[in-house]
Amino acid sequence: MTRLLENKNAVITGCNRGIGFATLKLFAEKGCNVWACVRCENKEFEKKAETIAKENNVWIKPVYFDLGNSEEIKAGIKQIRENKEKIDILVNNAGIEQQGGFFQMTPMAVFEKIFKINVFAQIEFSQYITKLMMRNKAGSVINLSSCAGIDMTGGYMAYSASKAAIISVTKTMASELINYGIRVNAIAPGIVETQMSRGLTDEARENTKNSSLMNRIGEPEEIAEAIAFLASDASSYMTGQVLRVDGGM
Amino acid sequence: MSNLEKYNEAFMEVFQIGEDQLTDDLKYQSIETWDSVGHMMLMAALEEAFDIMMETDDILVFESYPKGKEILSNNYDVEF
Ligand SMILES: NC(=O)c1ccc[n+]([C@@H]2O[C@H](COP(=O)([O-])OP(=O)(O)OC[C@H]3O[C@@H](n4cnc5c(N)ncnc54)[C@H](OP(=O)(O)O)[C@@H]3O)[C@@H](O)[C@H]2O)c1
Repeated sequence: MTRLLENKNAVITGCNRGIGFATLKLFAEKGCNVWACVRCENKEFEKKAETIAKENNVWIKPVYFDLGNSEEIKAGIKQIRENKEKIDILVNNAGIEQQGGFFQMTPMAVFEKIFKINVFAQIEFSQYITKLMMRNKAGSVINLSSCAGIDMTGGYMAYSASKAAIISVTKTMASELINYGIRVNAIAPGIVETQMSRGLTDEARENTKNSSLMNRIGEPEEIAEAIAFLASDASSYMTGQVLRVDGGM
Repeated sequence: MSNLEKYNEAFMEVFQIGEDQLTDDLKYQSIETWDSVGHMMLMAALEEAFDIMMETDDILVFESYPKGKEILSNNYDVEF
């Protein structure tokens, strides 16, 4: 494996499982040090992170905070700042899904909760981290959108709309942060085998799977590879883009 | 380095200006380099220099060289 991210330092949210964990592992394999953001303290995660770090000769520092709590976000940022290391990469991966249902039957509280985590918290966290990245006049931010935010089939309005908002957030951030040499792109995965997609109805999973040319569900590692590409200098001429990784939907 | 020296250095480094330009007349958009892009660079430099995290409201009202000192001393315990 090429050490595509050698000597880079990344902040990745939602590292505990799914796409976030696969990204943490792949980044370490590619030589990247990581502040691994996880919602709450977790010894099992710490052990796994320690092993990955040792195997790949990088450091991984767990940072614990709930994206739904501004004070916790700030405390997390303080911890990251304490290291006085440069930040090259930010992966805004953590996110939540909703239970399916017609929008008319979806309580407003659900819309608010989904937008709070999937959109507002992503913006808030990015405000702080990109200010730290600006000083280097370089960097790459990758936001996790979704094909659901582009294709928008019925039944998941809160989630789809939040992921559509992330596309707009990505493009705006890209146009503002290019002044500081920071690139910002989004990944739009199709359906991926994680706890999140297991929450979909069987019908929704089948439909999405069948609508891809590859006729299968993606693996978290396949999304991580695309994230690593956008994080690396291999994508140095890309910003403000949404990269679909969906098996050909 | 004193806090005033740190404060001045952030301005001089970010805006590429000399100490003689650090007067009460130095305001947002009064020089070419203090535009919105430069403003955020200044905020980032001050955050690093004083190890603080500035609130968005403070970033918005930070409109001049003297006002900045006032904000830092009132809201972030930076003594000048
Ligand atoms: N799986 C898919 O089919 C799919 C498709 C398109 C896009 N995506 C996007 O890809 C990203 C990762 O999804 P995934 O499939 O890996 O989901 P996942 O397995 O459910 O993992 C989500 C991660 O986000 C963390 N998280 C959720 N809420 C949080 C909060 N309030 N504070 C801190 N961390 C929080 C979770 O922490 P805990 O472990 O503590 O719960 C978890 O580690 C998401 O943005 C998702 O929308 C996924």
